[in-house]
Amino acid sequence: MNDDMSDESKSCSLPSSTEPTATRSTVPMWIFVVTLLLLFLGFAFFDKKGGWFDVRVYAPYNSSEELEAAQPKSAAAVAMAAGKKNYETYCGSCHGNDGAGKIAQAPPLSGSEWVMTKGAERLAHIPLAGLGGPIKVEGKDWNMNMAAMGAGLSDTDLAAVLTYIRGSWGNKMGEVSPDDIKKVRAEVGKAPQPYTGEKLMTMPE
Amino acid sequence: MKSGFSIFLAILLTLGGSWIGFVVAPTMQLGTAKLTTALVTGDTWPQQRTGEATLGQQIYRANGCVACHTMQLRQDGVSFEVVLTSAGKINPTAVSNLISTLTLTGLNKEAADIAADKISAVGGKTETHLTATGADISNYHAVRRSVAADYLYDAPVQLGSLRAGPDLANIGARQPVAAVHLQHLYAPSSVTAKSAMPSYKFLFEVRKQINGVASPDALNLPAEFATAAGYEVVPKPEAKQLVAYLLSLRADAPLYEAPFTPATTKP
Ligand code: HEC
Repeated sequence: MNDDMSDESKSCSLPSSTEPTATRSTVPMWIFVVTLLLLFLGFAFFDKKGGWFDVRVYAPYNSSEELEAAQPKSAAAVAMAAGKKNYETYCGSCHGNDGAGKIAQAPPLSGSEWVMTKGAERLAHIPLAGLGGPIKVEGKDWNMNMAAMGAGLSDTDLAAVLTYIRGSWGNKMGEVSPDDIKKVRAEVGKAPQPYTGEKLMTMPE
Repeated sequence: MKSGFSIFLAILLTLGGSWIGFVVAPTMQLGTAKLTTALVTGDTWPQQRTGEATLGQQIYRANGCVACHTMQLRQDGVSFEVVLTSAGKINPTAVSNLISTLTLTGLNKEAADIAADKISAVGGKTETHLTATGADISNYHAVRRSVAADYLYDAPVQLGSLRAGPDLANIGARQPVAAVHLQHLYAPSSVTAKSAMPSYKFLFEVRKQINGVASPDALNLPAEFATAAGYEVVPKPEAKQLVAYLLSLRADAPLYEAPFTPATTKP
C-alpha cells in the first residue's frame, strides 16, 4: 500500500503542498452582450404578459388594463362611459371634468337646476342651440355665452353626454334617449340662435 | 476553507432569495386577502362553509383525496359575444340588416367592440357577453378559472397536482345532489362505470333494517351493489361531512379577476 502511495506522489507533477488557484483572465465581451440581451428580452416578455405582479391579474389576461376592459358592462354603463369620453372632449374644457364649472368660464353642472330636470327636453336645447344672457345657476348669476357645443355630435353621442352629466357628480336623474335629442334638434332647426334663460324656462322640462 | 465566507454568502442569497420570492412576497400579496363581492349579484364571495362542510374538509384531507384530485381550474382564453337587446326606434330595419351581415359570436375584445359600435351607430342597443374558454372549462362544465379568492376558507389549501380523477374545484355546482355523492363514495363504479376510484366503504355502516323498513338515510343502491335483503347502507357522520364539503366546492360566481356573463342574466 505504501508503495502505491509513493508511486502516485512521484508521478504527480505538482508538489503536494500547492492548492490549485484560479488565475485572472478576461471574460469574453460576448457574454455581457448575450446576458444583457437575454435580460432585455426577459423584461420585455414580462412587461407584455406578466401583469406586473397585480394580484387580480390571472391568465388569460396579460395586464390590469386588459382585465379592466374585459369587465362585463351593462348597457347603461356603456352609455355612461361613452358619455364621459365625449363630455371630457366637448364640454369639460369649460365646465370642468368634475362638473364643478370654472370661475368666469362656465357655470357648474353638478347640482345645476338646468341639468336636474325631470325630462331632458329643456336641457337638450342648451347644447343644441346654445345659451346666452343672464341665467341663475344654483343661486348665482351668470351672464355669458355658450355656443351650440353639442350640435356637431350625433344623437347617440349627445344623448350619452347628457345621460352622463345627469348621472354623475351626485346628479341622479334619468337617462336621455337619442330620440329626445332628435326631436329637439328638429325643433331648433339648422341655424339655431342661442336661447336665453327666459325662453328656456317657457319650455317643458 | 479559503472561500468559506463567499460560499456562505452564496447559499444565503440563494435560499434567502427563493424564500423571499416564494414565501414573503406571496404572503404580502395574498396574506391579507378578504372577502370579495361577485360581479352582477354583488353577493359576498366566497360563501362561508357550514360547520359540517368545514369538518368535511378534514375528512377530505385525512383520506388523501388530494392525491388523485386537483382543485384548480385553468382557463385558456375568453370569447366575446355581442347580443342585440333592442333594435332601437331610429332605424330597426337597418339594424336587422346589419346584424345579419356581422359575426357576433366567438369574437375577441376588439372585434366585439367594433361590432357593438357598428350596431349602436344605427341606433341598436347591444350587450357584450363573456365566456371563459379552455380544456378545463369544457371538460368540467366550468364557467371560469379558479382564483385565489376561492380558497379563502381553505385550511390547508388542497390544490393537488395529479388528476387521476376529475378536478373538484367546481364539483358542488357540477353535481349538486348529495345522494349521488354518497353513492359514489360507497361504490364509485355504481355511478361511473369503470371508475378508478377506490370505494370508501368504511365511511358507511351496513346494518340491519329496523323492522324491515329502510331508514331515510339509507343509500338507494342498484341491485348489483346492494347488500343482503333486510340490511341497509347508511352514511356515517364522516361521509355526510365529506359530501357537505364537496357541495361547498364551487367556482361559479363571476369575479373581477375572472369575469364572465352568468347564464341567468343572458336574455
Ligand atoms: C366654451 C365653453 C363652454 C363649453 C365648451 C360648453 N359650455 Fe355649457 N356653458 C358655458 C357658459 C359660459 C354657460 C353659461 C351661459 C349663460 O351665462 O347664459 C354654459 C351653460 C351651460 C348649461 C346651463 C347652466 C348650467 O350650468 O347648468 C348647461 C346645461 C351646459 N352649459 C351644458 C353644456 C354641455 C352639455 C356642453 C358640451 C356639449 C357644454 N355645456 C359645453 C360654456 C361652455
